[in-house]
Amino acid sequence: MSKQRVTRRQFLNYTLTGVGGFMAAGMLMPMVRFAVDPVLKHDAAGDFVVTGMKIADITNEPTRVDFSFEQKDGWYTSEVTNQAWVFKDENGEILALSPVCKHLGCTVAWNTDDANPDHFFCPCHNGLYTKDGTNVPGTPPSAPLDVYPYKDSDGFLALGKAEPRKEA
Amino acid sequence: MNWVSKDIEVYLGAKEYVDTAVLPLLPVSFGPDMKQAVSMTEFITLLSIQLERQFKGRLLMLPGYTYLKQNSEDKLIEEINNWYSELVQQGFKHIFYVTSDSDWRTREAKFDGNVIWLPSLPLENLDSNSRNTILEDQVKQLLNLFVQKWKEN
Repeated sequence: MSKQRVTRRQFLNYTLTGVGGFMAAGMLMPMVRFAVDPVLKHDAAGDFVVTGMKIADITNEPTRVDFSFEQKDGWYTSEVTNQAWVFKDENGEILALSPVCKHLGCTVAWNTDDANPDHFFCPCHNGLYTKDGTNVPGTPPSAPLDVYPYKDSDGFLALGKAEPRKEA
Repeated sequence: MNWVSKDIEVYLGAKEYVDTAVLPLLPVSFGPDMKQAVSMTEFITLLSIQLERQFKGRLLMLPGYTYLKQNSEDKLIEEINNWYSELVQQGFKHIFYVTSDSDWRTREAKFDGNVIWLPSLPLENLDSNSRNTILEDQVKQLLNLFVQKWKEN
C-alpha cells in the first residue's frame, strides 16, 4: 500500500456497491431472460420432415406420401404418421395437400368416388375438393385443403406443418 | 372423434353430422388365455386409433368397454344392450362394436348393433412401419363396410 490510504468509509462504500451490484444483477437477469424468451424460442413450425418421396418422382397424378415424426404429449412421446397428397400442378409447381377434411376432420382420398372422378373425396359426408384442393361448393367443406410447405432435401421431399389457405 | 374434451366440443357443435358410435370391446382375463386377451385388446386399441383418424368427422370413438372374460354371457349381453339403448337414445343411427374376441360372434344374434370382428394379429413383433401398413389395410376393409352401412339409409 502506498501513501494513498483507503479509508474505512471508502472501503465500505466499494464493498457495498460491489455486493449490491451483484444482487441487482441477480434479480434483473432472470427478468430480462423472461422478457426476451419468446424471441429466442425455437420455432417448432419450422421443422421439416423428410419423406421417402423423391422430388424427381412426383407426377401430375396425386400420390399418397406417408411421413412420421415424433410427437410429445406431456411426457408421452409417440410416433405420429401423417399423410400428404403430392403432385405437380399445371405450372409444374409441387403441391402437397393435407388429407384432413376441412369439414370435421375425416381423411380424404384421391379419386375414390366413382361418381366424381379426379376429385378428392371425403367418405364421411361426401365432401369434394378439386385437384388443387379447392372445396366444391354445395358440399359440406367450407375451406380448401391445407397445404404443406415443402423443401428439397437432397432430392427428397421434406414437408413442414400444414397451413390453411385463404382463397376460394 | 375421440373421447377427449377437444373433440367433444366439436361434437356438441356438429351433432347432426355424427351419427355413428363405435364401442371397442376389450377382453380382460387372467386365466390361461391371458396372453390372447392382451393381444386382442392391444390390436383393437391400435386399430381403433386408425379407424378414428379415417372417420373423425362422422363417428364417435367411445373409450373401450373393458369386461372380464369370465363373466357370464347373459351379463355381458345385458351390458351391451344397455349401451345400445343409451346410444340410440342419444341419436346415434349406426352403432358398431369392434372386437377381436370371437365369443361376440356367436352372441351376435342376441343383441342389437353391428359387431365387427377382426382376428387379432400379432403386431408386437413388427416394427412400426409394417404395423401401420397392416392396420391401414384392415381399416381400408372397414372403410367399405362403414360406407355401405351409411348408404343403406
